[in-house]
Amino acid sequence: MKRFKLAGDLKAFLFTLPALAPLTLFWFIPLGYVVYLSFMEWDFMSPDKLFVGLDNYRYLFQNPAFYQSLRVTLWFCLGSVIPSMTLGLLLALLLGGQGKGGALYRTMMFAPWVTPTVAVSIVWSWIYEPEVGLANSMLNLIGLDGVGWLKDPNWALLGVLIMTVWKSAGWCMIFYLIAIRNVPADLLEAADLDGANRWRKFRSVTLPLISPTTFFLVIVQLIAAIQTYDQINILTQGGPSGSTRTLLYLYYQSAFTSFQIGEASSVAVTIIFGCGALSLIAFMAGRKTVHYH
Amino acid sequence: MPYNRVFFKILRHLLLAAAAIIMAFPFYWLVMSALKTNDEIWQFPPALWPDTPLWSNFVDAWQAAPFAQYLFNSIFVAGSIVVIQVINSGMMAYALTHMKFRLKGAMTMMILIGYMVPATAVYLPGYIILGKLQLLDSYGGLILSNCVSVFSIFLIRQAFLQVNHELVEAGQIDGASHMRILWTILVPLTRSSFAVLALITFIDQYNNYFWPMLITRNPDLQLISAGLRSFFVEGGAYGLKWPLIMAASAFTIAPLLVLFLLTQKLIIQSVNLTAGSSKG
Repeated sequence: MKRFKLAGDLKAFLFTLPALAPLTLFWFIPLGYVVYLSFMEWDFMSPDKLFVGLDNYRYLFQNPAFYQSLRVTLWFCLGSVIPSMTLGLLLALLLGGQGKGGALYRTMMFAPWVTPTVAVSIVWSWIYEPEVGLANSMLNLIGLDGVGWLKDPNWALLGVLIMTVWKSAGWCMIFYLIAIRNVPADLLEAADLDGANRWRKFRSVTLPLISPTTFFLVIVQLIAAIQTYDQINILTQGGPSGSTRTLLYLYYQSAFTSFQIGEASSVAVTIIFGCGALSLIAFMAGRKTVHYH
Repeated sequence: MPYNRVFFKILRHLLLAAAAIIMAFPFYWLVMSALKTNDEIWQFPPALWPDTPLWSNFVDAWQAAPFAQYLFNSIFVAGSIVVIQVINSGMMAYALTHMKFRLKGAMTMMILIGYMVPATAVYLPGYIILGKLQLLDSYGGLILSNCVSVFSIFLIRQAFLQVNHELVEAGQIDGASHMRILWTILVPLTRSSFAVLALITFIDQYNNYFWPMLITRNPDLQLISAGLRSFFVEGGAYGLKWPLIMAASAFTIAPLLVLFLLTQKLIIQSVNLTAGSSKG
């Protein structure tokens, strides 16, 4: 009997192996390795790594560039997640009852999400061109002066954010569209009978019922925002003067431009813990406020 | 009241049309800029369309860099990854849902944790490990390092959970092996989830930029996004070849837009499945 069980274990293990082996090699080992590297001083080239304990972290937490990129990351998260979700929800509400015509709108709004970030970022960098770009000519059209967009530290982050929201709003919209369709019609009818107006119905019926979707989108979008790289790399490369350098970009620069492997690893560990903490907070907040039915 | 209705209906359509046009406008702008001459593109205020569309820009751009090679690399790498992920996600999900074994709980936990780790945070150690395996700058490295996805495993696991376990037991009584049960009973029943997996993975990998760019230096191995980026940096830094850059961006985006238009329904259905798999 015991031998049979062992054979079953072995069989199951063989089934998990094709996924487990690469997962271990490219996911779990790197996770441990980056923690190990964060205690070392190393420049990629020299054969030996020097153990420095917590020095990398101490240095990191005294480095003004770290706090700057922390601030940028925070603004990037807020400035991309909140508008994308609000816009997505608004569009989904507008689109809610549309029939055939709705499909065309939906296609047009969802298309940005499917396309390669690098290619569309290049398009946006042309739109933001300060001399003849579309963005500034639109501003001129309504009587405003053009701005430097990606070349101006005060505007660059906004430029990257607009493009990011453009790309992800349609994605949020699709999720909300499905959630709204799943709101039971009889609940809305009951509210109608009670004489509730549109706003009231939305506020007390729809919004609570779609809260699991909101909760899911907040987490997924936050983690995506923290990991944003492509558009920053194409549009601004973290500049000008660090105004769009997120933690992830700082990590990348200190690893692959300045070859400060230890320091870079300590940034990576901070990012990992940050994401973990965020998921945990979102999870606990979700348990209190999210309404599952 | 009816007045109100009509007013709301018109307002709603106007808002939707405006939003749709704004969202699609960058694509329109891309194509129009790609068809302009270099003089036209530097006009201010910019013209909404070119005087005479310069279709030759597309040919010139295509020949200015090895885009055929880049496109082949992207499609080949993304396609291979899709095939491997279908196999390993299917097997893993089968083990997690329809086999009994010790450490099953621990395994599920591990994958859950994997779901939460931001992938980009482990790119540096991943790069070092890939270097030690002599896999930098190779198709093998590009494919192997992306050949497993926690998201795909979750998606399939969720689909397999819906399949009645009695079907699997019936297969076992008939003497079918696990492999046979997986591929002839479960996969056909859940084919829409596999289609979603294939589509989403293909799109993701075709669009992938950061990681492939890190691990390949050889221009012959670059994927389309990295290739486009080098073309952009070489030709575009001083704004010399904007129409060509726009043309190149256009044919990078085109295959995906076409794929999207053909498979829209499936992609939107995938959102349904994603939202579902996030709950359990």
